[in-house]
Amino acid sequence: MDFIQKAIQWGTGKSPWIIHFNAGACNGCDIETIDALTPRYDLERIGITKQGSPRHADVLVCTGAVTLQTKERLIQIYDQMSEPKFVIAIGTCACTGGVFDGCYSVIGGMDSVIPVDMYLPGCSVRPETILNAIDKLLHGSADVKNAAINKIDLGGAHDGE
Amino acid sequence: MMESEEKIVQILCERFPFLQGRIAARKAKRIFSDALSKDEFMQIVAFIHDELNFRRGHLVVGTDEGDNLGLLYVLSNPEFILLNLRESVPKANPVVTTLSDLYPSLMMHERELVSLFGVIVEGLPKGISYPLPDGWPEGNYPMRKEWNPDYFNRNTLAYDPPQEKEEQK
Amino acid sequence: MINAIIGIGYNHRGLEKACESRNYIQDLYIIERVCGICSHIHSTAFCMSIETLTGVTVSKRAEYIRVVVAELERLHSHLLWLGIAFHEIGFDTMFMYTWRNREKVLNLLATIGGNRVNYGVNTFGGVRRDFDETINAEILSTVDLLEEEIKSYLHLALTESTLAVRLVGVGKLSHEDAIKFGAVGPVARAAGIAEDMRVIEPFGAYKDFPLHVATDQGADVYGKTVVRILEMQESLRMIRLCIKNLPDGPLTVRVPRRVPAGEVLTRVEAPRGENIHYVRSNGTDMPDRVRVRAPSQANWHGMQHMLQGGNLADVPITIAAIDPCYSCTDRAIIIHSENETKLTDWRKLRQYSIDWYKKQGVDCSTLKL
Repeated sequence: MDFIQKAIQWGTGKSPWIIHFNAGACNGCDIETIDALTPRYDLERIGITKQGSPRHADVLVCTGAVTLQTKERLIQIYDQMSEPKFVIAIGTCACTGGVFDGCYSVIGGMDSVIPVDMYLPGCSVRPETILNAIDKLLHGSADVKNAAINKIDLGGAHDGE
Repeated sequence: MMESEEKIVQILCERFPFLQGRIAARKAKRIFSDALSKDEFMQIVAFIHDELNFRRGHLVVGTDEGDNLGLLYVLSNPEFILLNLRESVPKANPVVTTLSDLYPSLMMHERELVSLFGVIVEGLPKGISYPLPDGWPEGNYPMRKEWNPDYFNRNTLAYDPPQEKEEQK
Repeated sequence: MINAIIGIGYNHRGLEKACESRNYIQDLYIIERVCGICSHIHSTAFCMSIETLTGVTVSKRAEYIRVVVAELERLHSHLLWLGIAFHEIGFDTMFMYTWRNREKVLNLLATIGGNRVNYGVNTFGGVRRDFDETINAEILSTVDLLEEEIKSYLHLALTESTLAVRLVGVGKLSHEDAIKFGAVGPVARAAGIAEDMRVIEPFGAYKDFPLHVATDQGADVYGKTVVRILEMQESLRMIRLCIKNLPDGPLTVRVPRRVPAGEVLTRVEAPRGENIHYVRSNGTDMPDRVRVRAPSQANWHGMQHMLQGGNLADVPITIAAIDPCYSCTDRAIIIHSENETKLTDWRKLRQYSIDWYKKQGVDCSTLKL
């Protein structure tokens, strides 16, 4: 088990693939996230690419205050990702609900719905912050990475995932 | 520069005497009416669309007037003049007729009135409710003044106002 | 594509109700965040509504600054759209080029307002940021750079045959349908309707320097592309005129905290089209009713007609062509008609696939989603 854990640890940390989800944002942070993939900041040169399916992704990059309509979809996307997975809440609205906290159709920040590994406040978040965040998540704190890896259930029969 | 607007007001008042003193050109490109009843409103709509050429519907603004619900229809003609007609219906029986056959662009706004204010729009084609989320509890009309989002539990989707408020209603 | 039903509302936050229980200054921050791409124009419309209700006249300098930021916003929004449109048709190289040029505009906006998105330039009675010689020089040099780039986009759009083949005839919304369904902005202008709020209800520099409204008769996605590129050129011209003729004056004028009772409808031209704000005040420092009709909300009505009769592969670019603010973009549920018309949502589709596989002898019903 130790060896497999070590192998996973070695495997994660390079070229994480991200999936981006808008859970009720004004699009400011979404555009900045996509901006991170364009030539000025260019996430792709360090191996990060945006995927269309949560099953292909390691990191869920999520923006927006979670609305009642998107809550179920957000949980589903989180469940569809395979371990080890990380969640980054982009923007003040994703962290706490932002200016929209208290609106009748807004539940609040993302951590009221799914567990979040990293919070990026800002309105909106600059692409450099997103780059820095992904880097810190995977190379910085060993605790965050180990927590995600330890969540993986390696014993027993496959459960169809 | 307000000739066209004044002329339109004049034509309307001549054709529908009940509009006298209840419709005015407040400034350039803005004609506002006072609150009209459902019958009065339906009488003038066809004329406005066919004869006066107000063929574009921009939006319908729902307002809570206490005992009544107000619907402000914003229409425009090829000269880009905005004609704002206010229809007023009692909150206890908020029934209006759809304008979506004459103004298809108002359909989504009428759906919004149905969800957010509880207006009953007769003749509105069947469609997906907008904009409230799936599972929104029946009978809860968030844009009415008496509905308070502080008493709304977003996890259970239950609305529990405190007892005193219930008795007051 | 036989038919489509629009199912939107995922981004519904309930901010109009929130505006009623906050004062006007707090509402300004909410209104600015209705949309992150056209935040300035929303805050401009809201400020203009309050200024009309309080009877305040904004200084010419403030109006010119508002116009410059609005045109810069139009530039960055159209470049964004161009990039996304190219991406939707599979032309990723141009997506990267246009977004790289967009960075130049965002640099300018950050220099002016302090932030690349949600610049917070407006306040009631005027603007919060001023232009000095350095900023003016930077704006003019960036405009010169962008002019060359945008000329090349126009050249590409008009001469590249693969682009024409891909976009001509796709997503058609005729002149009559555009009026009937209330299309606004470049969608309407591509159908030949010469309607632009900067000309119909001008403020500031739009009154002093008449704008040329770009229209096209094609009424298809190609027309919308050309109209947006021409609008970018017009924005560059407008910015140059404003900077070279920037009047002196105060930045703000005092606006009373309590707004006298009244109602107002303000119309401005957002990058996506006509943006209407309705504000009703009741003499207090909180509004009675705020209603925002963003242009994307108007453009969705014609979407069914634009999609009908087209290919499934054209759906992304047709939807992208109305330039929907992602805040309002959601799924469209497609009705397949065989012998009957079926309305499906994702749950029923999933069950359909489970049943189909069961017939083949494979049981997927236990698969976790």
